[in-house]
Amino acid sequence: MRRGPVTRALGEHPIGAVFVTPYVVFLAAVFAYPLGFAVYMSFHDYFFTAPGAIVERPFVGFDNYVTVLSDPAVRRAFANVLVFLVINVPLTVVLSLGLSTALNSAIRWRTFFRVSYYVPYVTASVAVVGVWLFLFNSNGLVNSILGPLAPDPSWLVNSKLAMPTIAVYVTWKQLGFFILLYLAALQNVSKDLYEAASMDGAGRWKSFLNVTVPGVRPATTLVVLVATVTGANLFTEPYLLTGGGGPDGASASPVLIMYQRGIEQGNPDIGSAIGVLLVIGVLIIALIERRFVGRED
Amino acid sequence: MKLQAGLLALVLAGSLAACGDSGGGSGDADAAASARGPISIWYSNNAEEVAWGKQMVAAWNSAHADQKITAQEIPTGKSSEEVIGAAITAGNAPCLIFNTSPASVSQFQKQGGLVPLDTFPDGKQYIEDRSGDIAQQYKSSDGKYYQLPWKSNPVMIFYNKKAFAKAGIDTTKPPLATYDEFLATARKVVAAKAAKFAIYPAPSNEFYQSWFDFYPLFAAESGGKQLVEDGKAQFNSDEGKKVAAFWRTMYADKLASQEKYTGDAFVDGTAAMAVVGPWAIATYKGKVDWGVVPVPTSSGKPANEIHTFSDAKNVAMYSACKNRGTAWDVLKFATSQEQDGKFLTATGQMPLRKDVATAYPDYFAKNPDYKVFADQAARTVEVPNVANSITIWQTFRDAYSKSVIFGQQDPNEALDGAAQKVDELAKQS
Amino acid sequence: MRLRFVGLLLGAFVFLFPFYYMLIGSLQAEPDPTVAGAFPEPGNLTLHNYGEIDKAINLGRSLVNSGIFTGGVILGTLVFGVLAGYALARLQFRGRGLVFNLMLLIQVVPFQLLTIPLYVLIVRSYGLADSYGGMILPFLINSTAVFVFRQYFLQLPAELFDAARIDGASELSILWRIAVPLVKPALLTGVLLTFIGPWNEFLWPFLITKQQDLQPLAVSLSNYLTTVSARAANPFGAVLAGACVLAAPAVALFLIFQRRFISANISSGVKG
Repeated sequence: MRRGPVTRALGEHPIGAVFVTPYVVFLAAVFAYPLGFAVYMSFHDYFFTAPGAIVERPFVGFDNYVTVLSDPAVRRAFANVLVFLVINVPLTVVLSLGLSTALNSAIRWRTFFRVSYYVPYVTASVAVVGVWLFLFNSNGLVNSILGPLAPDPSWLVNSKLAMPTIAVYVTWKQLGFFILLYLAALQNVSKDLYEAASMDGAGRWKSFLNVTVPGVRPATTLVVLVATVTGANLFTEPYLLTGGGGPDGASASPVLIMYQRGIEQGNPDIGSAIGVLLVIGVLIIALIERRFVGRED
Repeated sequence: MKLQAGLLALVLAGSLAACGDSGGGSGDADAAASARGPISIWYSNNAEEVAWGKQMVAAWNSAHADQKITAQEIPTGKSSEEVIGAAITAGNAPCLIFNTSPASVSQFQKQGGLVPLDTFPDGKQYIEDRSGDIAQQYKSSDGKYYQLPWKSNPVMIFYNKKAFAKAGIDTTKPPLATYDEFLATARKVVAAKAAKFAIYPAPSNEFYQSWFDFYPLFAAESGGKQLVEDGKAQFNSDEGKKVAAFWRTMYADKLASQEKYTGDAFVDGTAAMAVVGPWAIATYKGKVDWGVVPVPTSSGKPANEIHTFSDAKNVAMYSACKNRGTAWDVLKFATSQEQDGKFLTATGQMPLRKDVATAYPDYFAKNPDYKVFADQAARTVEVPNVANSITIWQTFRDAYSKSVIFGQQDPNEALDGAAQKVDELAKQS
Repeated sequence: MRLRFVGLLLGAFVFLFPFYYMLIGSLQAEPDPTVAGAFPEPGNLTLHNYGEIDKAINLGRSLVNSGIFTGGVILGTLVFGVLAGYALARLQFRGRGLVFNLMLLIQVVPFQLLTIPLYVLIVRSYGLADSYGGMILPFLINSTAVFVFRQYFLQLPAELFDAARIDGASELSILWRIAVPLVKPALLTGVLLTFIGPWNEFLWPFLITKQQDLQPLAVSLSNYLTTVSARAANPFGAVLAGACVLAAPAVALFLIFQRRFISANISSGVKG
């Protein structure tokens, strides 16, 4: 196709701009202001005031960032969330790909299986946390089954196990969503490829590696990115499951600390600085992951 | 690429420009102070307080057709500070909130969200006449009252008589006055398997949890000191360290649990004791045969010398209020001797009146269980009304949790470290 | 084959057991943390915990509110989100990269960072306090769903679109007649994942509305859980009963719609 000046200025399908307009207006109306505001706050000595109250909010440069970065609790929270991601993301990818491949084949009780894997995802964390507390506390069901193998101190109050337990919990909770993503993607893998593979004498495992895995690569990218982003924004679980990031901050997440500093303690400037650092961190991780898992198009 | 950058800059610039708009006028404070008309209030959402609130609103509304109250419930606990903070910023807070936590007052005040009650000609007088000396603890650092001390829940030690009997402990006068007695009793209870734990304060990390483990004992041990006084942390004194050592032993010997509990450990018999105020009595009815004693001290002070944490909730007037004249009248109406009496009857919580024990003789004659709380209410310690109050409590809690509950650090060292940080925080204003 | 079946069965057990436990717990008159407590015991079963919830909150009203809130979000996401997802996947236009990057950025930003400025904006600038509009607005178009839509539109073969364009079809009709029918499973995925957010969201609707007759189920239930349940005969049972009430409609909806995930098959559609 020849590219005229209009095409060059607006792109090949200017109608696309019309299609995304509602979404862009929505982003601008709902997110641009609060987000810009958060960035603004992080560079000022800022706190929320009632309308009409006159206070000074001097520009302080990177002071808030210095405060945040020199705070051991914040550094610990960032380290914690890295531990979380290192456990959660690979576990999510492996389990959801494996389970969805199994579910995609003709198998008895398929509907039942799909529903059961999806149930945790549909349920509010607030609701499920109660059961997990009951299952994982020191004299809960899990420990009474494990008997002498039960960890001491128990899962959620053990500073080494609290974060991994949360990571497993979140994997369990979110897995249904990722299974759905993979199931939809598996519909796209051409049956011919499997036939060709089995003609070449490839076993089930081989054809999984050589056909399925490359076939769902775009979905894998998506799963890795979404799992990373949801994981980095971890909040409800340390808030409810380990009573505010316990024991002794071992399960505190950056968003939890941001919530404590910014909303509970009334220092939104500090909170925003944590938030901005987190956003930058996640973007960097996401870029690295895209490099490794492969671009989606 | 250039276009993209340009668009992004535009979006950001637009949002920054919007930040500058603070809008709204403060209005003339004096005119507002006498303005009358309809107002809105929020109260807490627990059943007894709602019943009282509805009754109070109905009584007021039937007599003031032109100045009606609209009332709504807000949650107690975790989310309420957040809700109030957001409403202050948006300018849609109600006139009065009958559930203002004293720990948040300094923050709301800094936000310009509160009306100093001294702006009403009889404001200061009314507060001090009603509450007596205790009112002083609720004064802000600028000498003004931004809250009306409303009601307290003096924290004491509840014990389960059945569990104590099973462990062979005297159920009318259990030995719980000194730390040694308390620990011995606790060990007996656990050894006899009368309960899994002797006592179960929430071991989680929320800033306010120290109000129900360290703070009451510290108030008792130190003879009524606040966590911070005159801009200096008090909790790393010898008294504070004794309290920390006491709790450390409780956790180290597994007499208290490090694990968060769903439900009420005292009600279901998991713990033989609880640190709590009189509001809880209603929840124990028909489930626990309980007794109550003051919190312990190292030397076993007599009951009438023991201070404790007040666990008070107050009423504050919010600056978004237009008809402040009416709001002030409602505030006085709702905290009159008559309404306080109804509140006491409905909830069992202690109105912060200097004469609560003598003002309602009928009630205490009929409910002797509550008498001991009325006596204790005269010696309560509030959270310090200082800048950065919640940050200070969180700092303290972090250090306490690490050292006392989880034993990862020497408690004395942890308290000293926290005291240093708290001194810094208290200095800022 | 058998191995795979057993594996799936074990997995299903791990996934369902907590829910089974939740249901059993919600029916118990007395909590029982022992292993025996995992099995129903006729003497200890009661509907009392549910009765308490029904007494404390107006379930019908709360469900209607949840329905309006969730429905509004799903509608917004389906209409505007599909348009955006299609444009981002299949159309070349100026600023596409910017919109895409903005979308990613929004994904990455934690909601807690925005809560208060957003609240101030919606209450003060838009005047939407105590209204369904204010409740719905921040969730109106789910960015994760847009992302998912884009991903699936991308997977469709390019020849399909080129052929239709050569035939002179407008982009809207290509989207509606060709692309959407092919990505139906993805659309349902989008609907479901959009559904979860507002259905379970507690903080935002609570902030924006203090009027009880506007509050969705999640808000009424958390209110119930924080206050009433502590005094219930079996607080643990009360919490679990609340959890069941919140989970049931979501699970039921999924059961109704899950057949559709399976029936649609893109590759056959493309070839046929």
